[in-house]
Amino acid sequence: MSRSHASAGTSGADGHASPTAGTTVHVRVLRQDAPAQESYWERHDVPYEPNMNVISVLQRIAAAARAKDGRRVAPVAWDCNCLEEVCGSCTMLVNGRTRMACTALVDKLLEENPEEIELKPMSKFPVVRDLVVDRGRVFRALERVQAWVPVDGSYDHGPGPRISPEQQEDAYPLSTCMSCGCCLEACPQFTKIEVHQRSGESVEQLAQRRDEAYDDGFVGAHAISQAVLFNNHPTGKMIADERMTALTAPGGIQMCGNAQNCVAVCPKQIPLTRSIARAGRAATVWAIKKLFDR
Amino acid sequence: MSQHEPSRSFFYRNQFLIYRLFSLSGLIPVGAFLVVHLLTNASVLGGAGAFQSRVDMIHSLGPLLVPIEWAFIFLPMLFHATVGFVIIAGGLPNVGSYPYVGNIRYTLQRATGMIAFVFIIWHIMHLHWLGTPFGGGKFDPHHATSSAATALQPLGISLLYAIGVLSAVFHFANGLWTLGITWGLWTSPAAMRRASYLSIGVGVLLGAAGLGALGGMRSTNVEQARAIETRMEDVKHMLDGQGGAGNAPAAGTALELPQLKLTPPLP
Repeated sequence: MSRSHASAGTSGADGHASPTAGTTVHVRVLRQDAPAQESYWERHDVPYEPNMNVISVLQRIAAAARAKDGRRVAPVAWDCNCLEEVCGSCTMLVNGRTRMACTALVDKLLEENPEEIELKPMSKFPVVRDLVVDRGRVFRALERVQAWVPVDGSYDHGPGPRISPEQQEDAYPLSTCMSCGCCLEACPQFTKIEVHQRSGESVEQLAQRRDEAYDDGFVGAHAISQAVLFNNHPTGKMIADERMTALTAPGGIQMCGNAQNCVAVCPKQIPLTRSIARAGRAATVWAIKKLFDR
Repeated sequence: MSQHEPSRSFFYRNQFLIYRLFSLSGLIPVGAFLVVHLLTNASVLGGAGAFQSRVDMIHSLGPLLVPIEWAFIFLPMLFHATVGFVIIAGGLPNVGSYPYVGNIRYTLQRATGMIAFVFIIWHIMHLHWLGTPFGGGKFDPHHATSSAATALQPLGISLLYAIGVLSAVFHFANGLWTLGITWGLWTSPAAMRRASYLSIGVGVLLGAAGLGALGGMRSTNVEQARAIETRMEDVKHMLDGQGGAGNAPAAGTALELPQLKLTPPLP
């Protein structure tokens, strides 16, 4: 068997190239050694195994720690955790498209492009190392819209209000958001904000400056959808006005450009456009109310 | 609530309000004007007289026409274009990586907006009296059809008009759909689908009106049109003159007016 061509597993009688054991998967990784450093391409060859996903490919690359040309290299770094598309940590650009590495199956990727698999870090978040990015802005945006039910307190509030099955069905899809950042990566309105530590700057000062920079930018589809989720929750809506203030602040919902890439790339198929339209309606009502009630 | 320093620009601090006004201005008055403008122009398909009578109606505003033009057309358009360019500058189109229909429309919306902006400036210079000092201003409201037909005769000019008009129509129709999401008019997928039928319908009708007007102007016999316009102007002068003198004869002439319009000179 050829060891130099991913599609060498021969085209079967159906004319469909299906790789078999013994063939090689070519992988091209965009690496970066540290924040603010130059990125560079590196090629790796991985022996094909059935049912591989991009994570197992990366595990093989790490185990070999050799580039295609035989040079010993530091293992490629990446983020992952649950390996079942619920934690949202392994987002990367696989063949140029944002998705979860754990559900990016090698067999399907080779059907798309038998030549190679291309792995890049997300382009809208600061690179920490190789495929690891700092998705802190995703979580900062959730803080901006207070994407939680405020129940903290020193005394028992009693049982919460009942939620009808219809409301539950409506809310459930929104609650599956795993903060993976795919919607932000694909959004043409969401642009990268990267803040580097200045010399003599403390970690706290850096964090504050970074948060301020993040707060200037677009809050993003995920945060808008979470604000809708919690504004429709009977207890969560107690701070609905605060969420609407955040959604209509600079960088809020008005930054949406209706490209609808968010809903197209969402791994959880969350109806993000519906959430954005609902938030838009709520913002319309809220702005008019504010205008006449002040 | 914003904890940002007060040195922030006015534009930044009032982003929500400005973007919503931007969205609204695309419908009213800019979009509404586009509809009226293209339908008025399409009346040329009913003959030079039909178009001339509509132009006369608009110009019956007299000295009010210029302030109305600026308040409801030029300034809102400039506002919409200025904010539009800021929005375009802030975005990062990525149809290459994500070639979805919505994303293609997002990119086209920006492209057609820029094309329409350049086209409208050129169009005003070309036909509107504001362009007279620059060798343009070729539209004569007293000879509406014949002057427009003459100006649109070169094929290149007509092609530029077709591109400009279709860009403006796409921008308006697609913008109508996105406006519904921005303001929360259609929120469910089913409602969005119905809204897209509406937007496509509006776009196709307006596109047909725009191209129809262009074709109507180009196929106009300039000599005949000029004759009709001259006669209509004569009648107007006659009416104006007699209207001041007394009402009985004026009423008599008014009765003859529709007849005049219905009988264009035949070759």
